[in-house]
Order: sequence, then C-alpha cells, then structure tokens
Amino acid sequence: MPSLFSFIVHRAWFVLLLLLIVTAGFVSQLPKLSMETNIEEMLPKSMEAYVNKKVLEKMFSSADMVVIGIENTAADGIYNPHTLKLVDELTQWLKTRKEFRTLALSDLMSLSTIKDIRGTADGMEVERFMQHPATTPEAIAALKQRLLDNGIYMGSIVGNDGKGTLIVVRPAPEYVGHYHEIYSLIKSKLEEIEARGGSETLLMTGRPIIEGVFGIYMPQDMQHMQPLILALLALLLFLSFRNVRGVLIPLTVVILSELWMIGTMAAAGIPMYTITTMLPILILAVGIADSVHLITHIRVEAGRNESMDKKSAIISGMSGMWSPILMTTLTTAAGFLAMLTSDLLPMRYFGVFAAVGIVYAFIITICFIPAIEALLPQREKALKQLAFAGYLNTMTHIVTHHPRRIMAAFGLLMLLSAYGLSQIQVNSSLVAEFRPSDPIRQADVMLNAHFAGTNALDVMIDSGKQDGVLEPAFLQGMSQLQTVVEAEAVVGDSSSIAEFLAEMNKVMHEGKQVYRVPPDTSQLAAQYLLLYSFSGAPDDFDSFITSDYRQAHIRIQMKTDSSADAAHLIHVLESNAGTWFPDSKVSFAGTAYTTHQFSDLIITGQIQSLSLALSFIFILCLIMFKRLADAALAMLPVSMAIAVIYGVMGLLKLPLEIGTAITGAMALGIGIDFAIHYLYRYRVYEAQGLAHASIVAHTNEDTGRALMFNALVVIGGFLVLMTAHLYPQVKLGVLIAGSMAICYLASCYLFPVLLQRKEQ
Amino acid sequence: MNHTSKYALASLLIWGWVGNIPAMAGSALEPRGLEIMQAVDAREDGDDLKQNMTQTLVDRNGNQRQRHMVAFRKDFGDDSKLITFFTEPANIRDTALLTFDYDDPKADDDQWLYLPALKKVRRISSSDRGDYFMGTDFTFEDMKQTPELEDYHWTLLGSEQLDGHDCWRVEGRPASEAIMRELGYSKMIQYIRKDNDFSIRSDYWDQAGRELKHLHVVKIKQVQGIWSAVKVEMRNVQSEHQTILELAAQQYNTGLKDRLFSQRTLKRGYR
Repeated sequence: MPSLFSFIVHRAWFVLLLLLIVTAGFVSQLPKLSMETNIEEMLPKSMEAYVNKKVLEKMFSSADMVVIGIENTAADGIYNPHTLKLVDELTQWLKTRKEFRTLALSDLMSLSTIKDIRGTADGMEVERFMQHPATTPEAIAALKQRLLDNGIYMGSIVGNDGKGTLIVVRPAPEYVGHYHEIYSLIKSKLEEIEARGGSETLLMTGRPIIEGVFGIYMPQDMQHMQPLILALLALLLFLSFRNVRGVLIPLTVVILSELWMIGTMAAAGIPMYTITTMLPILILAVGIADSVHLITHIRVEAGRNESMDKKSAIISGMSGMWSPILMTTLTTAAGFLAMLTSDLLPMRYFGVFAAVGIVYAFIITICFIPAIEALLPQREKALKQLAFAGYLNTMTHIVTHHPRRIMAAFGLLMLLSAYGLSQIQVNSSLVAEFRPSDPIRQADVMLNAHFAGTNALDVMIDSGKQDGVLEPAFLQGMSQLQTVVEAEAVVGDSSSIAEFLAEMNKVMHEGKQVYRVPPDTSQLAAQYLLLYSFSGAPDDFDSFITSDYRQAHIRIQMKTDSSADAAHLIHVLESNAGTWFPDSKVSFAGTAYTTHQFSDLIITGQIQSLSLALSFIFILCLIMFKRLADAALAMLPVSMAIAVIYGVMGLLKLPLEIGTAITGAMALGIGIDFAIHYLYRYRVYEAQGLAHASIVAHTNEDTGRALMFNALVVIGGFLVLMTAHLYPQVKLGVLIAGSMAICYLASCYLFPVLLQRKEQ
Repeated sequence: MNHTSKYALASLLIWGWVGNIPAMAGSALEPRGLEIMQAVDAREDGDDLKQNMTQTLVDRNGNQRQRHMVAFRKDFGDDSKLITFFTEPANIRDTALLTFDYDDPKADDDQWLYLPALKKVRRISSSDRGDYFMGTDFTFEDMKQTPELEDYHWTLLGSEQLDGHDCWRVEGRPASEAIMRELGYSKMIQYIRKDNDFSIRSDYWDQAGRELKHLHVVKIKQVQGIWSAVKVEMRNVQSEHQTILELAAQQYNTGLKDRLFSQRTLKRGYR
C-alpha cells in the first residue's frame, strides 16, 4: 500500500484528472434515473399476494380506485343543492378526462351515476338516483329517502350520517405508474373548487393517490434534505478543523461518492424507491467518516513528527490509517449486503447500493485526499487548533476514574431494552407512513369514520365448474362469509354477487325482507342476472363473477390498513373456508393481503439479514484483530445498540414495519466502525508499551477526536431525516441516530473500562 | 328525450333492415351528411320478421358466454312490438322479453320480462339511451337502425372503400353538451354503403375524446329482397370486451298474429 500512496502523492495531478473523468462518466448517467412508487412492484413476483393480485385484475377487472371525498358538516350535511351540484360537476368532469376510465358504473361511482333498483307494483324499476342534481327541498328529501330505502350505497357512496359522499373512479390503465400526475390533476381541481367557496371540505385518497403522493414527496424530500445535511457537515467540519480546506476536502469526497453511487444506479436502470431515497443522505453521513479519520490522523502524525516533509507525512499518515478505514468500509458494506437476504426488491437495492456507495467513498478518500493534500501548500502547525480537546480530556478522566458507574449505566440500559424487546409488535400500514398531520392521513381518518373503509381484502372463490357460483349452496356460503366478516369491528362492509342476488330476490318479491336471501335455484339466479343486464353495463358483472359463472369475488372493506387486523381477518376466513365452500378453492388478494404478506416478509427478512450481518462482521473482525476476544468485543457496542433500538421500539409501541425493519442491519453496518477504530488504535498504542491510562489518553486524542466528529455527523445526518414528509424515514432517522449514540458511547466509554478489567 | 326505437330488441331485429331506396351513388350531386343518414333511416325493413339470434359475449380474457334466442317483430303503424324467447343456455330457457316500441317521442317504451323460475312476468323500467343493453357492448342507442338524426350534426367527410364496397364516411357530433352526456359519445363516424344505404361500420369516441368502440357489420345478405345483417360485431377497444351477434333464418312478412305480442304468449312460450 505505501507504494500506492507514494504514487498518488507524486502523481497527484494525474490522480485528480482520473477522478474527474470517472465522475463525469457517472454524472452523464444521472438523467436515466427513474422512480418507482407502485407497492406491488416491490414484491417478489412469486409471492402469493402479487400473483393473486394479478389474477384479481385479470379475472375480475379489479383496480385500485381513486377516492374523492366531499364532507359537509352543516346541519343538512350533503343534502343541499350546492353540494349535490358539486358532486355532479366533479362526476361530469371526471368523464371528460383521459386520465380515468369511466366505461361502466363500477368505473365511476358517485351520487350522479349510482342506480336505484326497487320493486314496484308490477315489477321493478332501475334508474339513477340523481338524473340531474336535485335543487328543490322536496327533490332533495326524496333523494335522501330513496338512498335510505335502497341501503346498498349507504356507507359506501353516502356516509351513514349524511355528512359526506364519495366519488370513486378508476384510473385509466395507461396511467398505472404515473399516479403522481393523477394526484396533481385532482389536487388542482379540488383547489379550484375550494377557491370558489362553499361549506364543503374536499379530500382525496385511495391507493393511486397515496402512491402519487409518494411520487411527489420522494424527490421533494431528496431535494430539501440534501442542502440541510451538507450544511450540517460543513458546520461540523469547520468546528473540527477550523479552516476552509478541512471543510471542502471531505465534502468533495462525499459529494463525489454520492454522484458515483447514483450514477451507478441510473446506469444499471434501477429506479428509486421510497426506501432508497435515503441512500444519498446515508452516503453523505457515513462516507464522511473515512476522510475525517484520515485527515485527523495525518494532522496528528504531522504534529507529532514536525521534522518530516509534507509528502512523507502524508504517506506516513496514510500507512497508519488505510487498514482501519478499509476494515470499517468492509464491515459497513457487509452489514448492508446482508440486506440481500430480503425478499423485497427495494431492500435489496438499498443494501447493494449502500455497499457500493461506501466502497466508492473509500476509493475516493484514499485517492483524493493524499493527492489534494500533496498539491496544497503545507499547513501551519495544526494540532493545537483541533477541536474537542477539553471534551476529550474529560472523557479520558471519566473512563479512568469511574469504571463502576459506567458499567452500572450500561447495565441499566440493557435491562430496560430487554423489557422493551419483550413488548415489540409487528404491523405494517401504508397510511401510517404519512405524518399524522398529512392531508392523506387525515382524509383516511375522515373516510374511515364516515364510510365503510378504504382498505380492501379480496376473497376469490373458484367453484371448479361452469355456473358453479349460481348453485344455492355456494351462494349461501358467500352470504355466511359476509355475515361473519361484517360482525368484525374492523370491517365496514362487504359485497358480492350473492348479496346482489339477494337484493334482487327481495325486489322481485314485493320488497319483502324475508326474501333478502340468495335465490334457491341456479335457474332463478341466472334469470336474475339476465334481468339485471337490461340496465347494467357488461362490466358490472365482471367485478363479482367471471363470465363463465365459475369463479366469484367477495370484496371486504376494512376500516384500517393495519397488517395485524388483516392477519386476524384472514385467519377467521381460512378457518371457516372448508365449511362454507367444501369443494372450492379459496384465495386472497387486495391491499390488506399484500400488507399482511409484506409484514411477514419484513420479519423473516429482518431476522435473516441481521444474523447474516452479525456473522459477516464477526468474521471480518476476527480476520482483522486475529483474536477471538477482540472480535467479540468489537461486536459488543453494535449488539447493545440493536438491543436498544428494538427495546425502544417496544417501549414506544412503534411496530416493526418496512421503514423500521432495516434499522437493525443498518445500525450494525455503520455502528461497528466506532468499535473497530477505537480497538485498532488502542492496540496500536498498547503495542508501543504504554500503560492503560496513557493508551486511553493517546487513543482519545487521535481516534477519539475523529470518532466524536463521526458520531456528531452520523447522528446529525440521520436526524435530518426527521424533516422528511414520509414517516418511515422520520422513524428510521431517529432510531439510527439513537443507535449511533449508543455505539459511540459504548466504544469510547465502555471499551476502556472493559479493556482495563481484562488486563487486571 | 326522444324514446323512439329506444328499446333494443327492436333494433336487434332491425339489423335485418332493408334497402329498396334508389341508390344515390349515381346521382350527379353528392348528398350531404344529413341526407345520407335520412336515407339510411328510411330503408324498408318489412312489416314483420322472425329470426334466430345468437349473442356471444367475449371478455378480454377470451372467455365466452353465448345466448340463443328466437325473435319476432311486427309493425303496428308507426309503433312496433317485439317478442324474444331465450332458448339457451338451459338456466335461462323459456325466459322471454316483450317490448312495445312507441314512435311518439314522449311515450316511454313498455318492456316486460317473463322469468320461468319465478313463473312471473316483471315489468322493466325505462333505461337511458347511453345504458348498455343486456350485458352486451351495445347501448340502447347503438341498437337503433339509425341514431335520432336531430341529435347530431352530420358532416360528410368523404368516400372510402371498406370491405370492398364504396362507402360514404359520415361524422356525427352530438348537437349539445346534454346530448353528449346522455349518449356517452363525443363523436361517431359511420361508413355507409353507397349501393344499398347500409351502415356497415361505426366508430365511437367517448366523452374524453378517446376511441371507445368499433361496430362492424361483418356480413349482410338479401332475404326476400330485403338487405339483412347476418353477423355484427361490437368491440369496446378500451375494455377489450366484445359482443358478436349472429342472425339467421330470417323470414319477412309472414303475417305474424297480433296476439303473439302479449303477456300470455310471453308466459306460454312460442312453441
């Protein structure tokens, strides 16, 4: 290695030119970068929830719908001419927009499109509840009465309390993946309407809107967090080194690392996911450590050997530092690469590109820093100006004089964490990824309060034969299923062909309630469907029943999108399926099922990646320190930090979900660096034959200083994530920052105490 | 709203319409859009008609559902009455539909369905012109021999060869916003054979201006001198759903009895 450093120092211009060319190459790839907000695309293609969702889309032309909510909390609620006219205006507007598909009733449901089916003396009548927006008090009263009598749309299109109504519309197939355009379109339309005044509150939600918002927030977050963290880095660098050079050199290193990493991502055609938007922040916060350690060490070395010339001092500093920073680069990369065990694509990409970025940061650090230092004029004596001197002395004092108190403090922390760990829960919720104050989350709360629920669990049942669904036993099974699930508190409503046929049966028997049961012969069921087809669209049937009447679909609307609630409901359905449908195949799909399976993946992925990361890093430490005891000791701070992260999550009732799931492996990969640097430097000074107290003092002055800086940068950098729109990033930022604090404290305070004990 | 010929079966049968009008192709003056459509509207279709129908619904996955029917139509002055008996599949056999189609635009058409499983006749309320008919890709409006001519502005776009026939290409745009909403179309283009005034293709655009459906009269033939449709396809290019109508065994002017078109016959069946 020294010959390489010598080459870099003596061919500095050549090395800088080379770095510039490589950087230009990566930058040229940046325009290719794309974004992915579709949750389904993140799932492994073999996963049941993904496969079933595709089946649901194909067989029952199901789609994720955009939901526009109109709330009016005035005394008469939505039953006033202004609100009804507004509903009609929005409905007609949606029909004229190419962003939506409005072919059939099931594509666009609102007060202006839904139809009333009711019995009359000599038959039945089918007509829209609202042919034209009702204007007179009499017409409005009549409309309200009809909606109540019919009942089907209460809770789904009109709130049970009459204070809200929904417009539910299907995005055009060609807009899948471009939901941020739909989000912006509706947002501006709603703003235009609100600007006109009126007592209505307008909201929007639904999976396309939520994904669209992700698509808007992701680049916004990246743009606003970037300058924040750069400013933070500049401030800390200035405090550390007290000169412009000490600020600009490390910043250049991390910015180049970031450009290389994103350039690689773009060149490989890998899109940005919610979780990978954190990568730039990560590289800035983590990649800076190498250069700070290197510069600090070069300065400390130069200060201690004032006779050495500039180039020799650089080469000497490099020789003493390359090994631990390579080591920490490898351990950090290993920690991230362990995420490859995840079944979720974004997690895997996160791991891979974090590792790639860390390696880039290492390469750039050991090439750029010696080259630029060699070209710049020699510094004046720098050692006295280095930061944290007072603090570092205090630290040395504490660790050599109060070992018992330090042991007691860490012991207490571990006890608390152990209790917290026993309380940990698993739960995933897409809506919970938004801050409680976010309009999306508020819309969800409002809609779930007034209506049947925004989260769908889809049940698909294959009877195995043509017309099998029309068999009375099959229809009764569906009715029983619906009765059971609707008794669950989290279920707002459910719908199926059986419910619809029961309604038809009632209407055809003079509206008598006793006939609100599925038809008792399959002929009657077939004839009802024919009868209905005189007023319905071809697609009306498609969402409930396949055209060969072999397979049926039941849609259950849930009021929460928590995976724990979904897991419970799925358990209820699975344990009864054999009774309701003895000869049929039952499968599940829908947002609720996706989050349910997602959640399972997160847990297994978490355990796998954590144990893999632990073993990787342990092996690397063993290779480096060549002593089992040291390798084990190096693992201690990160193990404690991980226990504390999950302990705190348990105590604060923060569930394990996609955002928090990667904290463990991430904390492990980054946090191990503190221990390695400290232990390495301690052993170096120990080999020089110093006594424990002076080893600690020397280590603190050199590595301790860089670690302090390192801790401040990483903690500060991850706290910048608190300003993100998306909640998982906020939670992740806080948890990682906390765990970094633990790693730092354990390495710098606990290690000297333990090392002293071992010697005694 | 004009309810003339609103009811679909009416028009299903009218697919067996006629062309005794002198062809305009040879005239020196090119007819304008409206004149062409008037000629289509005025074509002879017989006083009564019996025919067999097969309706095939094809969804976008290629799954098919077929229904077989025997259908009768008789003109009563400017009004007409229609009765259709379903013969297959078994679970809807003997289901029958009776429609009184009034020429008076103010009168709602009357429609009854007999459900053998209930042994009851049920009246079906009126539908909107833009509503789909019987789960097919046809709306009630599409089923007509010609649209209500005054609802559209007709423009002759030119001539074009289609399926080996010289055709007029006529564009219709709804005369008002309200009509556009009611029909669900922002535009249609019809291809009308110059030799017999038969519209053999219609393309429809939805309210957002996107292409929506293609109606294609695949085959026509002369029965008793009257041009009759044999196979008609309607394809929704957005949903990829398709409806195929096949018409056979047409018999015109057989002197169908008035009492055939009654609720009694509806229950009893046609045999």
